[in-house]
Amino acid sequence: MKIPYEKRKSLYGYGFISLWFVGILLWFLIPMVESFCYCFMDNTSLKPDVGGMHKEWLALDGWAWLSNFKYAFAMDPYFKQNLLNVLKDTAMTTPMILVFSLFIAVILNQEFKGRGFARAIFFLPVIIATGPVYNIINGDMGSTGVDSGAQFSTLFETDIVDELLEFLGVMNISESLSEVINTVTTDIFGLVWSSGIQILIFLAALQNIPVSAKEAASMEGATAWEYFWKITLPYVSPMILANFIYTVIDSFTATDNSVMSRVLEKQLDWDYAYAASMAWSYFAIVMVVVGIITVFVNRFIFYEVE
Amino acid sequence: MDNEKLISAQEDAQDALLSTAVNESEAMETSAESAGSSERPNRLPEGYIPESAKPVVHEVKEVGSGMTPKQAMKIRMQSMNKQEIAYLRRKAVFEKCWPIFRFLILFGLGFVILTPLMFMISYGFRDNRDMNDPTVMWIPRNLTLKIMKQTIDAMGLTNPISNRQNPIFNTLVLNIGCSFLQVITCAITGYGFARFKFKGRDILFGLVILMILVPTQILSIPLYNTFRNFMFGSINLIDRFAVMYLPAMMANGIRAGLMIFIFRQFFRGLPKELEDAAYLDGCGPFNTFLRVMVPNAASSFLTVFLFSIVWYWNDYYVSSAFFLNTKTIALVLKNLDSTLNLAIFNNANAQVSAREKIVWLEAGCLISITPMLILYACLQKHFTEGIERSGLVG
Repeated sequence: MKIPYEKRKSLYGYGFISLWFVGILLWFLIPMVESFCYCFMDNTSLKPDVGGMHKEWLALDGWAWLSNFKYAFAMDPYFKQNLLNVLKDTAMTTPMILVFSLFIAVILNQEFKGRGFARAIFFLPVIIATGPVYNIINGDMGSTGVDSGAQFSTLFETDIVDELLEFLGVMNISESLSEVINTVTTDIFGLVWSSGIQILIFLAALQNIPVSAKEAASMEGATAWEYFWKITLPYVSPMILANFIYTVIDSFTATDNSVMSRVLEKQLDWDYAYAASMAWSYFAIVMVVVGIITVFVNRFIFYEVE
Repeated sequence: MDNEKLISAQEDAQDALLSTAVNESEAMETSAESAGSSERPNRLPEGYIPESAKPVVHEVKEVGSGMTPKQAMKIRMQSMNKQEIAYLRRKAVFEKCWPIFRFLILFGLGFVILTPLMFMISYGFRDNRDMNDPTVMWIPRNLTLKIMKQTIDAMGLTNPISNRQNPIFNTLVLNIGCSFLQVITCAITGYGFARFKFKGRDILFGLVILMILVPTQILSIPLYNTFRNFMFGSINLIDRFAVMYLPAMMANGIRAGLMIFIFRQFFRGLPKELEDAAYLDGCGPFNTFLRVMVPNAASSFLTVFLFSIVWYWNDYYVSSAFFLNTKTIALVLKNLDSTLNLAIFNNANAQVSAREKIVWLEAGCLISITPMLILYACLQKHFTEGIERSGLVG
């Protein structure tokens, strides 16, 4: 019996992904479902034991159903506050990271002397920032005041940023504006260090802009400014969305954000059921936000292929 | 008013055009004359064709005119309208100023990035007394290797390899082995997703995306159970290398989702004719993958492999969840603070303030990232340009 070509090819397809499929079943899907079940269980039925953990899956009284979630949202003094803080922080830093990394990518895409060196430096955070080194240097530099303008501020006994704002006449126009500016300036270190991958992705997108588009623009006498808005931005817009999702996920899984650290803290307290329910509701909220923004942004994106 | 100005401007322009025409014809003559009288009669070698015999070829820009480019530009500008001139002026100013701004921006931000590295080098080699000296900022007063040696001892880097207490050995075995396995399996999976049509492919690929999105923290405790009671409780895998190797072998290690995604994008970008030719010649799909696609993807393989090494090197969360006595470098660094408390500061003689402790921590940081920095410095091209070429975008 001979199997038709198309069918044979699809069978080969299954063959290629079979190894991964076994893996994802063992190391991802089953643990995920298990962790999802923890959310609805009573903590007393999830006791740590010598052989890992003692589970009473089938015992009906082991299930707490929604009470974990109720506790998290109605009674826990920290969870809601932390959640709001993290969402607010992410909402503030994500656009900044996107704008900043696009700007740097455009600069690094130009022809100039020492470009390779500049690129090497700007991608350095990609190598270092995922590890424990980043946390240590961040803390140490904070405590010795080498980061941000603090060093100079103590030197001249002023707050440079505030002075500058006052000089420009925009100090105290609005409380939130000053706050935003202050966050940007004091956290320039965090900004630069957390946008390595984003710069890389934008740079790759910039190099995919066809030469013909560039030639046409310069024939028509487009200025650099017009070129950016009419050519660069539409071409990189799919990557803006990708970078947005990456940035949000990155900041949301960071162990140093307050919700995540609370989840880990609860895990260390053997409070798995509660930790899991916090983590899952956090995950769900972030996914919903990302989904809504993705659907909204998708309308403004220029896809070359379609 | 405006009209008059316009008319006069037009007249000017016409005059200018006329004068250029006259100038050009005059210049032609003069240049021909000057070419005729050979200027270097003394140094003529034999067989030299005199200048007058050669066809006169000028630059196309100012054919026949004896003007400098500046003059030519001036005349050309007279025939332009205001908007054109304004455009050119803006462009010239921008092109002059932009490099300066660009340098300032890149220098400033590059400084921000390099500060921690300089900080590490500066703090790692100084004596801890320097921390209390207000006159010491960047350049240490007491250069010493003492702190480095103490940190290396505290991190256990000098331990014998045999008893698995040596972080270097553990890290290397995990790092290189897992990265290697994971790159191969992820490439196979990515190829399957890129080139074959089968039922449920989109849903399965959705699972790959889910792998990227779901944080490991959610999975760590169920995974701990799985490893602790592996094969229905018969094998305890905790504290063995298998906890890293098994997922990596099945394309589920650290950031495997991202790697599958990159490979899929890359293989989709390769021309289909490559495989069709191989199929026609009777090559099976796996052989085609091995003999045709892999050689084409070599640079992409290297890039993903390098990133994988970096990610495994930097990982401390997964290893801290499943290792009890097995130390890796990232893990040791993460716990360096408490290790130091035990190893160095515990005796009564040493009274070390929190500020002084930074010296040891920075030395530890320097030790742990130096291999990655060397790797990066040597293979920087593959780190950055590989990503660009891998077709991650598109």
